[in-house]
Amino acid sequence: MNILVCFKTVLDVELLTDEDWVIDKNLQIDTSFLKSTLNSYDESALEIALTLSDASESVKVPIELSALTIADTGATPILKTLNALRFNRVVRIDSHEDLRFKPAAIASILTQYVLKHAPQDVLLLGRQTSIGENAKTHLLVAEMLGWPCITQVIRIELVDVNHLMATNQMDDGQLRQRIQTPCVLSIGDAPKTYMRVPTLKDRMSYGKRPIETLSTRDFQLLDETEELIALEAIHHERAGILIEGESPEEKARKLYQGHLKRSVRVKERMARR
Amino acid sequence: MSLKREQIVEALKKIVGEDQVVTDEQVLKESSVDRFRRFEAYHGVYRLPLPAAVVNVNSSKEVAAVIKFANENKINVVPRTGHSATEGGLETALENSIVVDGSGMNKIISIDTYNMQATAQCGASLQELDDRLREQGYTTGHSPQSKPLAQLGGLVATRSIGQFSTLYGGIEDMVVGLEAVFPDGGITRIKNVPRRAAGPDIRHVIIGNEGALCYITEVTVKIFRYFPENNKFLGYTLDNMKTGFEILREVMVNGYRPSVARLYDAEDGSYHFSHFAEGKCVLIFVAEGVKTIADATATAIEEIVAQYRGCVKVDPKLIERWFDHLNWNPTNLAEEKNEIIETKNVCNTTEISGNWSIINGIYEVCMQRVRNEIPDLTLLGAHSSHSYLNGTNLYFVYFYNVVDCGPEEELTKYHLAIKKIIVEETIKAGGSMCHHHGVGKHRTKWIEAEYDSSYYILKKLKSAFDPNGIMNMGTIIPLES
Repeated sequence: MNILVCFKTVLDVELLTDEDWVIDKNLQIDTSFLKSTLNSYDESALEIALTLSDASESVKVPIELSALTIADTGATPILKTLNALRFNRVVRIDSHEDLRFKPAAIASILTQYVLKHAPQDVLLLGRQTSIGENAKTHLLVAEMLGWPCITQVIRIELVDVNHLMATNQMDDGQLRQRIQTPCVLSIGDAPKTYMRVPTLKDRMSYGKRPIETLSTRDFQLLDETEELIALEAIHHERAGILIEGESPEEKARKLYQGHLKRSVRVKERMARR
Repeated sequence: MSLKREQIVEALKKIVGEDQVVTDEQVLKESSVDRFRRFEAYHGVYRLPLPAAVVNVNSSKEVAAVIKFANENKINVVPRTGHSATEGGLETALENSIVVDGSGMNKIISIDTYNMQATAQCGASLQELDDRLREQGYTTGHSPQSKPLAQLGGLVATRSIGQFSTLYGGIEDMVVGLEAVFPDGGITRIKNVPRRAAGPDIRHVIIGNEGALCYITEVTVKIFRYFPENNKFLGYTLDNMKTGFEILREVMVNGYRPSVARLYDAEDGSYHFSHFAEGKCVLIFVAEGVKTIADATATAIEEIVAQYRGCVKVDPKLIERWFDHLNWNPTNLAEEKNEIIETKNVCNTTEISGNWSIINGIYEVCMQRVRNEIPDLTLLGAHSSHSYLNGTNLYFVYFYNVVDCGPEEELTKYHLAIKKIIVEETIKAGGSMCHHHGVGKHRTKWIEAEYDSSYYILKKLKSAFDPNGIMNMGTIIPLES
């Protein structure tokens, strides 16, 4: 079974301060000093793929793992790590333009890669990235390939060479379903999927294997219908009340009498209804 | 005849009141260890004797009463404030110990901007003190990575050092005076004066005692004017550590005092700086102070670095941003816990120091031996983060996957095995096995080798001030059994 994990490295925007939010005429801010990190949903996808590979021997389903990113050379450290973790094939498609807000273009590249360069049975993608937050790529790829797609997947098990068992998170529970390959699985908030860490010896032995490099110019990009028209920082602020008092006891009393008690009463009334 | 556990608890309740004596089993378990055994603790494994109680003290008098009781009944006392120790110094090595927690003694007593000193109780948060000072244009100058967690008593007890030490010094350079409780229950104060030549500097009996001689209850530290607007950040990539040590030495011996002078090897650097220095060593400086000094220091450092081939300057913003996120806060600790439990990938460190002539040799032999002798390593690196006229420190950082062993075997198989190599190679070369974490309970087996003929002085201090052997036994000096 050929499994391709499509992942993105993203800038750690947590490092941006308010002073850094200077938007230039091209609707960009300077992020050149930020460190890249693996997108968290993609990290889950990569670890799930490795777990499937671990299980392949016991269920006698040979697995060929590939990982692909569309990025500049900044992604090289993570690609080396994936080599060290024994991904069979590690691919970087050199990006010559800003594709952060162009999920259709990305989906078209991925589709062409699967159809023309390396046939696959399963595509794993994180559901969205923290930059862009398009949450469309997996759906667009599935549509372009004509494959079924399951979203919010949190666990995958191997069944046989043509089938997987996928568990996905629904609004009111979890759905476990047997799915035939080929398929696209979009990884959601999957628990316990921190990516494992390769040993130094594996880094030395496998980390230096070549990274297959292609270019976005090798692919035909779909035109986007969407255009970036504004950029704005999201301020995570919540209203607060400062409780003043002479002593902790007095403050606790004011907190209870003025705020908590009322909330408890509301909850009690709701419960009675 | 020694008291039973229940008798100890009852007596403590009479001394400080029932509310201040904690005997909840989970609290006792967590109070039997510090971050040294965090992998075991994350897996619910607690192998050390549980303390009889944790006593939350609110005043020096309460500390004195508890310690006097312990001394009269020969009960081991483990002094504690922020609970962020990393070397086992807070482990309860003996049965029925009393953990005396001073984190409730958290008042900032005075900030004296004329005499440039601040006084705080042992449980005062360093972060809070420094934030208060910075609001007024001052700083303690002390900024260890544990700043959001650590408290004054513990910082002084472990001879802590901060990221800006090259300018401001370690905590031993900052402490002006102290108050401490000794095992006989006496409360001792050392007055706050600029300097004196009235015999030995007895502050150093207390600073760095790691709770093995006395309980620090109050600390007065120097404060400094703070000019963050003048800070100059400098960063360079380079090919090897040897050149980096030479540059650090040139800066120091020429009398320049950047607040930060750090050198990362390529592996440690890849952990922090992969976005601009993949596979390279990284050299970092921060010049601060009044504008004329900050500018002159930065200019001089640039001139020194320019004399060395292969050093490439990087955007100062890269360094500035990295610094903003270096410290550990409770959120980081929670994230680390989850990650360790899931990945079984653990990070530990060992810090040593040595003169300029031996430091690169220590670095090379330790890196080679650890890499060759220890299994399952995922990262092995080192950095120098505190430099002096005559030498510098090395902070070895290592990550490993815990493989084929239970949580209780992790320390022996990995952390202690690595520590042993680093400590033994350092002592053999003539360096010090502890730079700023303290001895704790796991480097005690090398303490005689560390002190050599001066070990006599250390032993005498312990027997003179703690004749009944009740103060944090097994810390600094090994248990005899």
